[in-house]
Amino acid sequence: MSLINYSSREINCKIVYYGPGLCGKTTNLQHIYSRVPQETRGKMISLATEMDRTLFFDFLPLELGQIRGFRTRFHLYTVPGQVYYNASRKLILKGVDGIVFVADSQIDRFEANVESYMNMLDNLTEHDLNLERIPFVMQYNKRDLPRVVPVDDLERELNPRKAPYFEAVALRGTGVFDTLKVACKLVLKTLG
Amino acid sequence: MVKGNWALFEEDFWAINTILQSLIQTSSSKSVMLIDKTGQLISSIGEPPGFDVTQGTNESMYLSLIANRVILVVLFDRKTSLGLVRLKARRGGEELLSVLNKLFDKLQYKNEEISAATLGAEFTAEAESEIDSLFKE
Ligand SMILES: Nc1nc2c(ncn2[C@@H]2O[C@H](COP(=O)(O)OP(=O)(O)OP(=O)(O)O)[C@@H](O)[C@H]2O)c(=O)[nH]1
Ligand SMILES: [Mg+2]
Repeated sequence: MSLINYSSREINCKIVYYGPGLCGKTTNLQHIYSRVPQETRGKMISLATEMDRTLFFDFLPLELGQIRGFRTRFHLYTVPGQVYYNASRKLILKGVDGIVFVADSQIDRFEANVESYMNMLDNLTEHDLNLERIPFVMQYNKRDLPRVVPVDDLERELNPRKAPYFEAVALRGTGVFDTLKVACKLVLKTLG
Repeated sequence: MVKGNWALFEEDFWAINTILQSLIQTSSSKSVMLIDKTGQLISSIGEPPGFDVTQGTNESMYLSLIANRVILVVLFDRKTSLGLVRLKARRGGEELLSVLNKLFDKLQYKNEEISAATLGAEFTAEAESEIDSLFKE
């Protein structure tokens, strides 16, 4: 559902960061914003509460520049992870071209990851979308913390389709660009 | 309804921009945007939306849904009033509706042709190398 605009020669792709509350979605975007060249990034829009919890979404446009005459952009969105914001999550998923699922590796958050993953599948179904047909990347975040679930266990539970996955410490930027790059490339494949 | 990619043709693009331009002027708003319901920006006029829409700004936003798939966004401040913005946005919305309906008809017809025109392997290769050079530490 990428918007290819043949008259102004633009291509816009939408990538959504999904995952449970406090797993580090906004942190991923903040890191990307802080490291990409200024000409590449647009304004980052964050609709957040005073406690820095995402209220509606974060939005960060990234611009690849002119590729074969097409101005090509990736629009990154995060959903609010808190359970009661499902209407926003559903809305943001609409027209998605690629999904990054950010899982919180902490043992205490295992259930929250599974719940959020199921919630994502439900919301996709409501839009007549099927995860098997959407470019998808898994990120196991917060690997720096002491009590984390082994990656094999996370893989078994959250990634039965064996999508590409990355271990990450978004707070320090580890794994953030690896995740983004693979997500963008998978989306491009669907266009080409 | 048209599924998949959607494309704007130059004539529609100008028709839409003319309507937005007139809306922003007659309502004294700061910026006007047309966004696909999926969040894709179709066109924007006026001050670039510098909206960190957090608390404490004096900007207001007026939203209306057109043809059930496009959102008209008007950003305005105290230089104008909600009443005026609403009035002008309604009028603009009606004009947009007629342009969009024509566009959707055309798309329905042309969509197959458009999706057949793939971007090609060179595009993908070039875009990938751009990703590698821009998205890094
Ligand atoms: N130790 C550690 N903390 C992290 C990491 N990534 C994010 N955090 C912290 O986790 C907290 C939540 O991060 P956010 O990015 O706001 O989480 P979110 O997923 O956007 O949360 P919602 O907006 O509520 O859905 C913040 O205090 C971050 O600093 C990480 O890799 N390691
Ligand atoms: Mg957040």
